[in-house]
Amino acid sequence: MAQTLLMTKAMPLGDMVFIIVAFLLLMVILKKVAYGPLTQVLDQRADKINKDLDDAQQKSKDAASLVEQRQKELSESKNQASQMIETAKKSAQAQSDSLIQAANTQVAGMRQSAQEDAVQMKNDAMNTAKKDVADLSVTIASKLIQKELSADDQRALIDAYLAELGEQ
Amino acid sequence: MDEPTSTFSFLGLTFTWTTVLSTLLAMSVVVLLAVFLTRKVSIRPTRGQNVIEYVLDFVRGILGDQLPSNLARQFGLYSFTLFLFLVVSNEMGLLLQVKTASDVTLIKSPTADPLIAFSLAIMSIMLANATGIKTLGLGGYLKNMFLKPYAALFPLNFVEQVTNFLTLALRLFGNIFAGELMLNLLASMAFSLHGFGWIIALPLEMAWQAFSLLIGGIQAYVFVMLTAVFTAQLSGEE
Repeated sequence: MAQTLLMTKAMPLGDMVFIIVAFLLLMVILKKVAYGPLTQVLDQRADKINKDLDDAQQKSKDAASLVEQRQKELSESKNQASQMIETAKKSAQAQSDSLIQAANTQVAGMRQSAQEDAVQMKNDAMNTAKKDVADLSVTIASKLIQKELSADDQRALIDAYLAELGEQ
Repeated sequence: MDEPTSTFSFLGLTFTWTTVLSTLLAMSVVVLLAVFLTRKVSIRPTRGQNVIEYVLDFVRGILGDQLPSNLARQFGLYSFTLFLFLVVSNEMGLLLQVKTASDVTLIKSPTADPLIAFSLAIMSIMLANATGIKTLGLGGYLKNMFLKPYAALFPLNFVEQVTNFLTLALRLFGNIFAGELMLNLLASMAFSLHGFGWIIALPLEMAWQAFSLLIGGIQAYVFVMLTAVFTAQLSGEE
């Protein structure tokens, strides 16, 4: 139907040429005005997105390795710390042991000398007491003997005793 | 098509005023749109740029579905221009139809004119064939066009090539022409029935305009897509 419509219109070739030329011109204008800048910007955007994605991937990889490193360092320092505590404990134990040892020795020594002193003092006291008892018995004996004597004698005795006391 | 026309001659060729004015108007609108929407093109798109980028993406999507990527790139500008021009052309007649006092149409949808539809179809088909020859070489191109899948199918293939061309043009022209014819009929109805016709005609006209808007967009899409399909077929990509 349109075929016949076209034929009856006597084929205005000029219109066809005009349309095609105008269309080509429109293509040129659009390329300059819209298509060129747009495709450029779209390409730039695609590049940027790709680059950003790559960057992000790289960064997350870096971060993961950093985390691993930190983890390793952390566990290492934990080990170190527990080791240090262990050594400190050990040395403290050793020190306290030696201190207790020394104290024990000292105490034992002190006890021994105290015992010795006590024995000594006891001996001394015994000796002194023996001597005193002897003296006393002598004194008592002499007193008992002197009691039989006269008052003058007693007076002389008392004087002598007093003199003896005064000498002392 | 027995409407009166007004023509002029230039360089020995005859031009129709309707064709020249309508085409120029449609193209001016396309250029203005393009300039307006791409005033500030940047990597971070603004509103106008988004719109035209969406159109470009849409066209690239059509091409990408049919053509290998290198051909799709080559056809980008052509299809982008074609799509914008067709959309504007198809919708133009819905808003604006100018007639002179002697009933000569000066401005209407360019694509409602069979000659313009045929011109565009010729351009598309020629481009598709040229791409076929360039891709396959002349021998391969002829073999691919006529002797596939069997040599015995040559008559069918031959007819197919002719009908491809005819349907490409007629589908576009028919849809847009019919749409405008209907609009004109409804418009003339508005002035009939003792001046009360508009009560019926107005809602009908609105509904038909909405429908024609849809049709115009679809036809632009179909035309661009079929151009890509024919190009793919003729370059042996199926």
